[in-house]
Amino acid sequence: MKKSSIATLIMLFLLIPAALYFGDRLPGKGYYLTGTLMTVFALVPFFLSFEHRKPQARELTVIAVLCAIAVASRLAFAWIPNFKPIFAVIMIAGFAFGQESGFLVGAVSAFASNLFFGQGLYTPWQMLAFGVAGLVAGLLRKQKALLEKPWAMGLTGFFTVFLVVGPLLDTCSVFLAANELNAKAVLGIYMAGVPVNLSQSVCTFLTLLLIGKPFLEKLDRVRVKYGMMEAGDGL
Amino acid sequence: MRRDRFSAAHPAVSFLFFVGAILLSGLIQHPAYVLAGMLCSGLYYCLLNGRKSWKRIFWLFLLFLLLSLGNPLLNHQGNTALGHIFGNPYTLESLLYGASLAGVLVSVLLWAGCYNTVMTSDKFTMLFGNLVPALSLLLVMVLRLIPGYFRKMRQITGSRESIGKGSRTDTYAHRLTEGATVLSAMTSWALESGVTTADSMRGRGYGTARRTDFQHRGLRSWDWALLLFELILLLGVATTMARGGTAAVFTPEANYAPMTGWNVPGFAAYVLFLLLPSVLTVQEMIQWQISRSRI
Repeated sequence: MKKSSIATLIMLFLLIPAALYFGDRLPGKGYYLTGTLMTVFALVPFFLSFEHRKPQARELTVIAVLCAIAVASRLAFAWIPNFKPIFAVIMIAGFAFGQESGFLVGAVSAFASNLFFGQGLYTPWQMLAFGVAGLVAGLLRKQKALLEKPWAMGLTGFFTVFLVVGPLLDTCSVFLAANELNAKAVLGIYMAGVPVNLSQSVCTFLTLLLIGKPFLEKLDRVRVKYGMMEAGDGL
Repeated sequence: MRRDRFSAAHPAVSFLFFVGAILLSGLIQHPAYVLAGMLCSGLYYCLLNGRKSWKRIFWLFLLFLLLSLGNPLLNHQGNTALGHIFGNPYTLESLLYGASLAGVLVSVLLWAGCYNTVMTSDKFTMLFGNLVPALSLLLVMVLRLIPGYFRKMRQITGSRESIGKGSRTDTYAHRLTEGATVLSAMTSWALESGVTTADSMRGRGYGTARRTDFQHRGLRSWDWALLLFELILLLGVATTMARGGTAAVFTPEANYAPMTGWNVPGFAAYVLFLLLPSVLTVQEMIQWQISRSRI
């Protein structure tokens, strides 16, 4: 059996129940620790499968370049307040290289971005949420019609961020901010997150509309020029 | 690079310390523990960053005040009303609860700041480089690329401004397309140089042998002693937590676990654990002064 699948099995049947059991017995905000541990456990199988693949130099550098672009892209739009193109770049990585690489680019860029802008207890949640953005894009890449039309790609980004990524990030705020967990307080925090999520979804829509197709073409060009994605090349 | 006895110890020692300190300060809301956490993290932050640290500490103090004084405005639970604001009671318990939550946040932020200074990326790869080699290399590469991309984007923006294509004062639509152009130009360059890097890596034999470390350093007996010391103290605090010695209830009535009996050594273990890096740093400073005065 693969090492990564053994680790995943241990995770599913040992660590997650253990975290649930002990988290319930901790005083204070034990449920926050439990939730965070769950997200960490959800991240580990992806990382292990990447490790297990023994990525070649080209795959490694292209993924590193995409992560760094995702983090640095904010500067290009520095003159528009609160404009964050990071989800768009992560989703482009997913469209181009599939769900696994998309997830990896998302999770690593969340972690790297937090190293620059401040690490916190929300880091695992962001890694998961950003990774899921890349994962969704990777799953949708077989739908050629979505990638042909810039507005269709933009709308995909809009709904991914608004319906999946935003609520995931809000879940972290629920654990951090709610004094006690009840339906009213939780719903209130999710509702308070809607305007922020909406603005980020619009950012993603606009960025994908403008650069989505050209970016995919650029990646394609590099692939053709250097003969990547061919057998035995590791990418 | 920092060279005090704590930073110079094996990365495992520092990593265990920061994981313990950040987890414990995030979990415990008992006022005595929170206060100890704030003081110890502030002390070590000042020792690490010298005069530069006062600005950050000032802002964090403002954040602390804002969060503690603001909490009673949103949360009206608690029995002791200090007064009424906008028709709602402003309660002492809610104030204390806000102060405790704010204290947790401030100490976690300060520990994270210390972590960034002490745990440099080479130490991080040294710890995890053999466990997850591809992933830790990926992270180090990303961290190296980001400042380079910032620089490149500034160059692109600068050269576009000098031919009259700047975007500072234009309409939002123009700023958007301008940003997309800059990002696009940067990406073409980044991808090409990325492939060159990859070919160079392959030329130098990436993936053919085990990764070696930037610093050659194994666990010495001093590191083992520190690790053991940290583990014993952590175990002490964990036992106290499990026995309910760190419990704190704020509403409706403030009720903290008393500082008596076995709770005292538990608290002492926590303080000792948090003071460990500061003590080692100060000891090093004193020793340096003594050896210098002998010359």
